[in-house]
Amino acid sequence: MIEETEIIGKGLTDNHKLLKFGGLFILVAILFILDIFLGSVNIKPAEVIHALLNSADKGLELIVYKFRIPKAITALVVGIALSLSGLQMQTIFRNPMAGPDVLGISSGASLGVAFVILGFSSHMSLSGIQGFGNWALVAASWAGAGIIMVLIMIISMRVNDIMTVLILGIMLSSGISAIVSILQYFSNETMLKAYVIWTMGSLGNLTSQQLEVLMISVFAGIILTFFSVKMLNALLLGENYAASIGLNVRFARFVIFSGTSILAGSVTAFCGPIGFLGIAVPHLARIYFRSSDHRILIPAVMFIGGGLMLISDIISQLPGSDNVLPVNSVTSLVGIPVVIWIILRNRKISGYF
Amino acid sequence: MQHKSEILSFESLLIGFSSGRWKKVILPPLNGHAIKGELIAVVGQNGVGKSTLLRTISGLQKPIGGKILLNSKILSGYSRNELAQNIGYISTEQVKVSNMTVNDLVSLGRFPHTNWIGKLTPEDIAIITDSIKKAGMTDFVSRNISELSDGERQRAMVARVLAQDTDLLIMDEPTAFLDIKSKYEIIHLLHELSRERGKTVIFSTHDLNVAMSESDKIWLILENLFFEGAPEDLILEGAFDKLFSNSLVKFNNKDGNFTFRTLISGKVKVNGQGNMRIWTEKAINRAGFSVSGQYSDIEIDVFSYAGKNIWKVTARNTSKEFYKLYDLVNWLVSSR
Repeated sequence: MIEETEIIGKGLTDNHKLLKFGGLFILVAILFILDIFLGSVNIKPAEVIHALLNSADKGLELIVYKFRIPKAITALVVGIALSLSGLQMQTIFRNPMAGPDVLGISSGASLGVAFVILGFSSHMSLSGIQGFGNWALVAASWAGAGIIMVLIMIISMRVNDIMTVLILGIMLSSGISAIVSILQYFSNETMLKAYVIWTMGSLGNLTSQQLEVLMISVFAGIILTFFSVKMLNALLLGENYAASIGLNVRFARFVIFSGTSILAGSVTAFCGPIGFLGIAVPHLARIYFRSSDHRILIPAVMFIGGGLMLISDIISQLPGSDNVLPVNSVTSLVGIPVVIWIILRNRKISGYF
Repeated sequence: MQHKSEILSFESLLIGFSSGRWKKVILPPLNGHAIKGELIAVVGQNGVGKSTLLRTISGLQKPIGGKILLNSKILSGYSRNELAQNIGYISTEQVKVSNMTVNDLVSLGRFPHTNWIGKLTPEDIAIITDSIKKAGMTDFVSRNISELSDGERQRAMVARVLAQDTDLLIMDEPTAFLDIKSKYEIIHLLHELSRERGKTVIFSTHDLNVAMSESDKIWLILENLFFEGAPEDLILEGAFDKLFSNSLVKFNNKDGNFTFRTLISGKVKVNGQGNMRIWTEKAINRAGFSVSGQYSDIEIDVFSYAGKNIWKVTARNTSKEFYKLYDLVNWLVSSR
């Protein structure tokens, strides 16, 4: 009898989750369409539809196809990638405040990018980088992210205290900023401007080749994440217990670090350091689905992250005005309240995550 | 004979820490055996190496030397997953995850038996339900582990390790954070698992009373010695005396209890019977006097009269009556 009611109870919650996923899907779809329809150039919805149906004038078609749709796709991909990488980092570090930007992973990626933009490219023109440079840029970014990831891991194996790890992460970030400043000091004006604009974060400046590289990389990262789902669940218990239930911890770390570095690195390479989404979204997903199971959290984080990034993009375009805000600032303003709320709610962040 | 159902054994095992070429062996070579269905208590002072031994025989830490056999196959020959199917492990580390239910936690015990995504078959679910029931956590299935008390969380951990379905369970101080009631519930559960399910349970504990009354075998770890045997054997061999050789605690070889070593400031003769006499002697010991059968400076007559307990003290020609042991002890202390 008990077992029977249990199964019914479980079925209900499964349905409930399915309902929530359905709702999220619809929400993200609406946001995606809104993101295409709203922008700094005021285009009437009817005209957008016209452009989509391929019969309007060339100017509008250009804006919609060459600019708005790629940008909306970028926003979606960026949101998914950053949130997934944040989720995995929080699990593997068992740290509620872990995220690509907090522990210096994004900084590491920026260092890679800075080397490419400021260092090597001083010998070639900007258009030159754009040709061969897309993959070089991403690879440098992955390497930068990966190195910091490994450093943080070594630190967190020696120090168990979350706060210490966070502080050391901040130190690392500062150190990297210092190196980047030195690079900036020695680079020429055009390169400097290119780099500074990059640091503000942008979803709209991607060429179609760049978008392609981004999508392929993020797709690879998503595949790796799906592959890690069982390992991530085991790691919730901590590495000792994970090993005791049969997890090869080194292998798991390697796969998860690769996935995280690819996800955070690719986004940072093309769109600049985009903050706070990576920390905030996993918490929203946990709270909304009341689960710690990565089989639920991974898709949940993808929907919520994609949706939140679309919202940030819509806000950054300041619909109705000609101005555009740096998207980086918008995600910070959206994400920081969530993070503050999490800290206040947990009181002691070193406790449960 | 003994090898018939031996599940785990180690020979000249050296445990300790190593990194690169640097090695630190913390104990002399150890030899021990675990028979199927045995409840083994690992006893020793803090920091002597109990956890290291348990981690080493669980395969979570590499031995520095010697041989460990699990089901007469060398331990290092097992893959991580095979180990997890044979050995369940609980450490003192607390699992702190919000939004994880008891059911989620116990389901993770099926990790070594499920496919790459961790899908649970009906058989897995049956085992999980049974494990939860066995650990007495049925009422808590959908409760978050962050909301559980220490005792409940520990039982959930036991349920998880049961779901792992291993013949050998290794637990590092499973009763460390628990209040007395939860402690005995856990010990009782371990006892049941070894008796009814034939599980071999190896657990470390600080509670010698528990170790001596419940376990089939004790592994006593001292800085330079390792004893293996039934609790009573260790008492007869005087092993426990060594555990306390340089501390204030004294092990009483007669009744298996512990007393503080106190300075003896005099002898007392007690005349009386039954419970009252026993507890009076204890109180006298506590006050720093030894109990003697011969004539002493102080003599105490213990008796009940008209429903009252009376202690009549005769010392150096003076005589006093007490109606509470408390007052008697105070008087003894002041006369010391």
